[in-house]
Formats: sequence, structure tokens, C-alpha cells
Amino acid sequence: MEATREIYWNVGHGVVLPMYLITLIALAACGYGFWQRIGVYRQGRELNRLDNLGERVVLMAQNLFGQLKVLRVTVPGIAHASFFWGFTVLFIGTLLVMAQADFTQPLFDLVILKGTFYKFYSLVLDLAGLAALIMLLGLALRRFLVRPQGLKTTRDDYLMHALLIAIILTGFLAEGIRIAATELRQNPELARLSPVGLLVANLFASLDGQSLREMHRLWWWGHFLLVMGFIAVIPWSKFRHLFTTPANYLFTDLREKGAIATINLEEEGVEQFGADKVTDLSWKDIYDADACTSCKRCQDRCPAWNTEKPLSPMNVVQQIGEVAFGKPQANLVETVGQDVLWSCTTCRACQEVCPADIEHVNKIIEMRRNLVLMQGEFPGEEVMAAVDNVEVNGNPFGMAYASRGDWSQGLQVQQLCDGAEVDILYFVGCYASFDKRNQEVARSFLKICKAAGVRVGILGKEEKCCGEPLRKLGNEYLYQMTAQENIELIKGYQVKKIVTTCPHCLNTLGRDYRDLGLDIDVEHYTVFIDRLMKGGSLRIEAQQFDYTYHDSCYLGRYKDVIQEPRDLMGAAGGRISEMERSGYESFCCGAGGGRILAEEKLGSRINVKRVKMAEATGAPLLVSNCPFCLTMFEDGIKTGDCEGKLQVRDLAEVVAERLEPPLVRCLNNLESNARREV
Amino acid sequence: MKILVCIKQVPDMESRFKLNSEGTWYDENDLAFRMNEYDEYAVEQAVQLKEQLGGEPEITILSIGPNRVVEAIKKALAMGGDRGVHIQDDKYYQKDPWQIAQAIAAYAGTQNYDLIFTGMQSQDRGSAQVGVTIAEELGFACATTLVGFAYDSGTITVKRELEGGSKGVAKLKLPALVTCQLGLNTPRYPTLPNIMKAKKKEILALPMADLLKETELTATEKMYPPAKRGGGIVIEGELASQLDRLVGILKDKTTVLRAA
Repeated sequence: MEATREIYWNVGHGVVLPMYLITLIALAACGYGFWQRIGVYRQGRELNRLDNLGERVVLMAQNLFGQLKVLRVTVPGIAHASFFWGFTVLFIGTLLVMAQADFTQPLFDLVILKGTFYKFYSLVLDLAGLAALIMLLGLALRRFLVRPQGLKTTRDDYLMHALLIAIILTGFLAEGIRIAATELRQNPELARLSPVGLLVANLFASLDGQSLREMHRLWWWGHFLLVMGFIAVIPWSKFRHLFTTPANYLFTDLREKGAIATINLEEEGVEQFGADKVTDLSWKDIYDADACTSCKRCQDRCPAWNTEKPLSPMNVVQQIGEVAFGKPQANLVETVGQDVLWSCTTCRACQEVCPADIEHVNKIIEMRRNLVLMQGEFPGEEVMAAVDNVEVNGNPFGMAYASRGDWSQGLQVQQLCDGAEVDILYFVGCYASFDKRNQEVARSFLKICKAAGVRVGILGKEEKCCGEPLRKLGNEYLYQMTAQENIELIKGYQVKKIVTTCPHCLNTLGRDYRDLGLDIDVEHYTVFIDRLMKGGSLRIEAQQFDYTYHDSCYLGRYKDVIQEPRDLMGAAGGRISEMERSGYESFCCGAGGGRILAEEKLGSRINVKRVKMAEATGAPLLVSNCPFCLTMFEDGIKTGDCEGKLQVRDLAEVVAERLEPPLVRCLNNLESNARREV
Repeated sequence: MKILVCIKQVPDMESRFKLNSEGTWYDENDLAFRMNEYDEYAVEQAVQLKEQLGGEPEITILSIGPNRVVEAIKKALAMGGDRGVHIQDDKYYQKDPWQIAQAIAAYAGTQNYDLIFTGMQSQDRGSAQVGVTIAEELGFACATTLVGFAYDSGTITVKRELEGGSKGVAKLKLPALVTCQLGLNTPRYPTLPNIMKAKKKEILALPMADLLKETELTATEKMYPPAKRGGGIVIEGELASQLDRLVGILKDKTTVLRAA
């Protein structure tokens, strides 16, 4: 007997009409719910997120069907992904039944679900249901019994778990009773291919045919109506993420990571800057709230949240949604709160981990723009003073601009204003120019360049702050004024390549300045000297040492530079003990987002927290790659009582100490030349 | 009500100063300029008064100097001034406070101002004479070193900072001139729409020669940096011995430990 089953067994073809009618009603309810929500999204400003549609569709398919972002957090990730795959298989299975019973069979007399394929189908669907059920129970256990800290449980979560479990259970009941009535004795071979169904069938095996038929009808309708209820309730519950989250993969920001909209300050008649109301944000910013599943992964990683500050990126995203849906004319900045907005270090940990592709950082910057540009507000008087210093002297310290190049006196470096011919422009940045500790880094970098035969030029007193802290604080106007001066200056010289020792300068010059007309290759020194080393023009003498490494946010997460610094340290003889939070999961030093200029008055100190993480590795040396991080860690080691246990150094300092002495280099060259000749 | 605020653009005090070729003032090369700190309090107070009176008063911002001072005028306009007056003078540093005050009074005398705000003094010359001299020339009531200001129907009540930390309160009838001190207020950060609007506000340029009638009363003979004295002392060693040394130094070289 060929393996197959009678579709609409017991319920009969008479159900088709009411079934489709109810389905239509459910779909209409679902569609109506989304239609209403779309109206709310449209309150936001226009933004094209459907360009390069092909690329977007591919990204969406990868992230949806691969569950790639969800799986970044292992345990709940696997549970969600397995449930998703299981449920997807069940959905496809149901579509096949529909296709056959209502289209291919009546129209073309074509039966798909038969023979070997049907056996395979039976087994796969049964197991998919089992997997979905187990994962769902696991997730319920986690949410309602384990209760991870910070996980918000609302009415929706009860609804979702209850409904989904009920759908799967009623499905198994209908299946099992059908098997009990039609396969258990008649075709036991086939029944074995539905292990869970068989289990259920055996429970009911003693019942007579009539009872089985009655019960089957009951569970069949129960299952069907629950599914219809599920479809109808999607837009009105967190189930909406079934659509909104995958669609958010489609609407993803395809620009370079960290890109911020550059305000056109020349535009006549614009009197509103930054976001004061939800209507000042883009539709996507409102939409993001609907894509959020409250998984709190962002909050778990937020340096502000982890040091008892009022900021939770998740809450900010959801508050925007609440305002948009509840009282769209409300003052958004007041609703979210200044302390919340100023707490952000723009470290991007939230955005990097978000399984729903939500863009947290730029929302905060938009609201900060409103505070600074429209209200003249700053996180503190010290910040206002620092910003004023940048305006007057081109650096936040208020040091005389004319002394910016003083650190380089007596070193082998050329000033571009002297008409020097150089290989690279070293954009020094404010910290390496004025801060004594960071001047060591600048000197080390020059030493390395000299050893590799690279001719370096600097802008000296003509250089100004790149404007990064200003921009992240929301002061787009002063950022653009300062940036323009740097750009005009750099364009005036024949610069082929810029190297920075500061990841903040790197991001600003290399990405943000492009919007203002500078298009030059900009590299961080770690990448630059890693290439010199791998290309053979820089020789590092390995001397063993133990260290742990801090990935600065603006080099790691923003620029994907994770491996090169580790390679360099390895070549220098370093043995790494990684911190738990490293690479893309690195924990901010606390200085990003302009916070370097602000006093940390709320909660505990971020830098101390990070220094403690470094200390916990047992390594005596913490290596960093950013002047802000170095400053924060020098301070954190003192205030966190780690003096004597932990030392912080910039990567350039470590490398500069291990340059092969010229004599050894010369001998090595001779040797390799000789080898080549042989 | 018509309000005048007199401001000066001065070098940032962190700048590296060099003498000019005449040896009577600083060389302007390599200097970063900003609005005189005390004048910022003056501008802020004027703007606060304008806000208090529902925007009725008109605020004029006046500054003397070379073309660079227009930047300071623009900043004051962005903070809330209505119009600017630039008295053009590249050789401003050769004028003594009497001449500066007389030139400003010559302009202000034609404008019927009710209230004039100036800084307590400039950060670079620090004569603290210009404000009071203008008041004298115009016959205005005058109060200096303000740390508090209130206006009520034609009368201003001011709190003045006096020697030794004590304060004095004075009431003045308009027209009046006041000079502003640190602590009076916190100058605002101009908003972007106001910066944009300030770019379009009128700045009247007047040559100094049209206003200046007087010759100088005090001429600068020479300017020089103070002679280098001994550097600081870093006391090192055990805490107790550090304290002993510190007390010894305080006894020998200062009067702080002497009984009154």
C-alpha cells in the first residue's frame, strides 16, 4: 500500500469553505493591525531604506533563515533558532497540504504527499513539531522560572507561550488521534514515521472508532482556530516581530558602520535641528521600536547600564515607540531624559549585538543634537568649557593652538607647512599632541616609522581637533566648522595617505569627513604597521611578555580591526590572556561619545570596571590602541586600586621597544639576501 | 528700552605671548582670540533682561578693534544681541582707557541708551576704567563689579562684590551703566538657529577717527614679562618630614602662621 493520507479525513471537504472564510478574516485582522501601525511609522521623516533591494533581500534571507544574529548569544539563541526552524517546517508542511488539497489535486489531479516523499514528510514534520515544543518549553522555563536579570515579562509573553504551546499540542493531538484511527492497525509501518503522533495514538488506542472521530474533529477545529487566532493577534502583540524583525533586516543601514547623517547647514529656512519630537526622527527610528523583542541583549552589554547609570538602549528604543503610538506631540527629549542621553558612550555594543538590527546610537545623537543645537545644553559646565576651548584653540584642553606641534621638537618628523615630501600624514590628534602620557605614544609611532623607513609629516600647529567628541555630543555645527578647516588644510597639501594613532580621528577623517569633501585613505597605525611588518619592511624582535588586550570600540566594533593588533603583539612576543569581553563584545573604557570631556557623576566608574576585567585575567599588562582608552585606564588603575598589579601601555609603545637594533637588521638583511642568491 | 553692551575681543589667556615690535603690546601672531570673559557676563545679563521684558529692549553690541573683533560681535549677536557696532581701529592698543571711553561715549551719546553693560575689566589690559569713564562722560549712574542684577520699572537693584568677600547692594535709576563680574550669571551657549540669524544681523562699521576727539592721558612706555623668579618646590619623603618642612617654609617665608 502506497504511503499517503487522506486530507480532510474525518472533517470532510465541507470544511473548506468555512475554513477559508475564517482564514480570510484572520488575515484581514492581521493586515488591518499592521496597516494601523504603518500609519504611526509614517509620522517619521522620509528615509529611503529600499535602495539596493537585491542586496537587502539577500541579507534578510541570510539573517532570517540562518538566524545568524539570534545565534550570537548561544543558549537562548539555539532555542529560538531551533524553534524558528521547527515552526517554519510546520508552516511549509501546512502550505503543502493546502497546495495539494485545494489546488493541485482538484485542478490537475496531482497528489504530492505520497510514497517516499510522504514518509519523509511525516517524519520531518513530526520531529519539527517535537523540536519546536521542546525549545518552546525551554524558553518558557528560562523566562518564567530562571528569570534572567533584566528580562521584561509582559502580558504578551504569557500569550505567546500559551498560544504556541497550545497550537503544537492540539496539532499533536489531532495527528495522534488520526493515526490511532487510520494507521495504528491498518498501516503501522507508516505510523512509526510519526514518533510523537504514534505516542499520542497509543494513548487513545483503546477508544472505538466513533469516539476517535469525534475527538479528532474537536482537536482539528481547536488547532485550526488557535492558529487563526494566532494570525489575527500578530500585529497586536509581540508576535509582530515575526514580520517586523525580518523586515528590519531588509531596512538595514547599508552605509559604512558608524555613519551619521551630516546636517546640511547651508539649507535656507531650516530652524529645527535634532529630534525634539518623534516626528523629527525618521520612520525607521519609530519602526525600530516595533522590531524590538525586548531581548535586552543591548542592555546587558551597555557600559552605562552596567555601571548603574540610567541608560538602557532598549528602553530608549521602546520609549520612542511609546511616544509615537501614544502621544506623538510629546517632548521626546524630556520623556527619555537628559541624564539618559548624556550617559551614552556611543560604544555601539548595543547595535552590534542587536538581533533585530535596531540602530540605537544615532537616535541618541539626534536627541543630543536637539539639546546642544536648539537649547545650548551640555552634560556639564566642564563640557561646555571644553567645547568652547575647541572653538577657540582647536583642542579641548584650552592649550595654546600654537603649541600643538611642540611635542615633535627634535624628532624625525616634518611639518607639511615647510613643504616637506612625505609618505604619510600623521594626524596626531589632541591627546597625542598635548597630553604627556599620550605624547609617548606619538613618539613611539614615529620611532616605528623611522625603523621602517617611512617618511612622516604632521600638520603641527595648523592641525585642529578632528571634531569627533563634538559631533557625538550633538554639536554638529562646531564639528563641521572644525572639520572644514582641517579638510581645507589637508587638501592644500599633497597628502596620499593619513595615519592616525587615535581611532576616533580615524573614524572621523576616514568616514565622516567624506561627507564634507575629503576622500583620502585613512588608516589606524595598528593596521599600518601590521602591514609594514608582514611586508618585511618592519622587523620586530620578539621578547616574551604576558598581556591582555582591550579592543577600543572605535577600532574593533566600528572598524572591524580585531586581528591585526593581536598579530603585532604576537610578533612582539606577547602571550595573550583574553578578557571575557573582547573583540566585538569589548566593553567600553567610558570615554566615547564625548564622555572623555565629561565628569562621570552617575553610577560607578566605567573605566574602573574595565580595568578590573583586565586585572582578572592575571596578565600584568593591559595593551590598548586609543588615547582615550589609555587615559581612562591610567586613571582607572589608580582609582581602582590596581597600581602595582596592572600596567597599561599603548600598542605602539610595546612595539617601539622591540624594534630590531639596526645592526641586527643589517645582518638579517644580508642573510636573507644571501639565502635568496643561493 | 535701548541697551548697549560694550565688549572686547582678547587673546585666550593660555596663548603664548610675545611682545610686538614696538615693545608696548603683544604680537598678535599665533594668538587665539575670544570674547573677554567679563563681557560675556555683560551680554548674558542684557539678554536676560530683554527676555524678562518680553523681548522689548533693543540690544546693541559695540566693540573696538581690527576686523577680527567682528567674530566676537557675531557671537554676542548669536547670544541674543540685536545689532552690532564695530569701531574700526587697528591701533586700538595705542589708545589709553580714557580715549576708548571717550570714543564709546561719543557714539553712545547720540543713541539715547537707557542702560549700558560692560565687563568689569578686560583680561588683557585690565584697567577697569573704560566702563566708569563712559558713565561719567554720559552722566549716567554707575555701579561696578556686579554679581547680582534685578530690574523693576525703571530701577535696577545690583549686588556688588566688595573687598574681602563682602557684598554691597545698590539701587540705581536709569539711565545707568554697570560693569559685570564673574558670578553674575552663566553665559549661554548660542543655539544654532541663533547663530544663523546672527549672520544676518546688521553690524555698523565706524572708523575710530570719526569718534575720537581726545589725546591720550597715559601712554604705554614699555611692556615686559615679569622677571623669572625661583621655580616651585616639590617636597618629597616621608609624610611627617614633609609636613615639618612645609611648616618651616611657611614660617620662614610667609606670614600665614604669624599670630595677628
